[in-house]
Amino acid sequence: MKPLTVFWRGVSFALLWWVLAEGRMDGWWVGLCGVAAATWASLRLSPPRAGRLRAVPLLRFLAFFLWNSVRGGWQVARLALRPRLDLAPTTLDLAVMLPAGGARQLMLNTLSLMPGTVGVGLDDATLRLHVLDSRLPVAREARALEAHIARLFEVAP
Amino acid sequence: MSEFTSNSLLVVGAFFYFAGTVGLLRFPDVYTRLHALAKADNLGLGCVLAGLALQALETDGLAAALKLLLIWPLALAASAAVSYAIAQRAAALGVRPWQKGDE
Amino acid sequence: MSLGIALFLLANLVAALVAAARRPTPADLMLTALLFGSTGVGVLVLLARAMQLPALVDVALTLALLAAITGIAFARRAWHAGSRDE
Repeated sequence: MKPLTVFWRGVSFALLWWVLAEGRMDGWWVGLCGVAAATWASLRLSPPRAGRLRAVPLLRFLAFFLWNSVRGGWQVARLALRPRLDLAPTTLDLAVMLPAGGARQLMLNTLSLMPGTVGVGLDDATLRLHVLDSRLPVAREARALEAHIARLFEVAP
Repeated sequence: MSEFTSNSLLVVGAFFYFAGTVGLLRFPDVYTRLHALAKADNLGLGCVLAGLALQALETDGLAAALKLLLIWPLALAASAAVSYAIAQRAAALGVRPWQKGDE
Repeated sequence: MSLGIALFLLANLVAALVAAARRPTPADLMLTALLFGSTGVGVLVLLARAMQLPALVDVALTLALLAAITGIAFARRAWHAGSRDE
């Protein structure tokens, strides 16, 4: 077990405690027990692996996600408030290149918060999406998301 | 200035919640209503939390503000997972997506 | 300010519930679960500010955490079953 991993996890849990306690220090010994227990449990349940998430792609992914969830919310708000409802929903089957497991599930779930798409099903490597409006460039945006997730997990898309 | 920004964020958040409800009432089937709820309501919650965090930053400090912002990713994870589960379940129940020209 | 917004969100929630009661298909009822997650948490944090009850933020945080855990547990069944069941 690398001491550095233990250290960083402990620091993260201590920060989380500080936030949850709203910066108050009067119960610090409870927090200390909590941090120790959480660090131990996290090392037991999720031992450090070789393929860990890298910081820069993670930040880029978060920025991409945040921006697109704003766009998605704005787009659906505009469609809902338009005086004449003008929707052309459709479904789209998309072949996923990401490996099965965490990467694929992250893609499926993020797509539900991206502009115009909701994941309906995942059958092996085929992702079925419900698309709010067929005029939206959904397939291109899904590929961009896939590329981000591939960089995040260090896999070739 | 900061109070103006935080109040604006609250109003913008309320607007997105409103748009989500309108979408829920107007959209034709469960899939399209999912779009309205999953996206508009989450953005509304994000704006409300950001506005309140800005106020908390002034009165209660950084930790209290971060605590409010911590709620957002949890709510996002919940609604992404739940909306997928609903869509998948609706498809399994054989709910056919509404298409342009129906009714 | 925050009290007014909280009441506005509550009005939204009531409107959506009335609509769901008028067309009670299973799929529409499931949507209310989603609605309670996002609107309920929003109302709680706004009330925490308006009523000066910081403990309500803890309630909102716990609600969001539980919603995330139950949501993921619920969806996992769907992930593992694929689209072939039923």
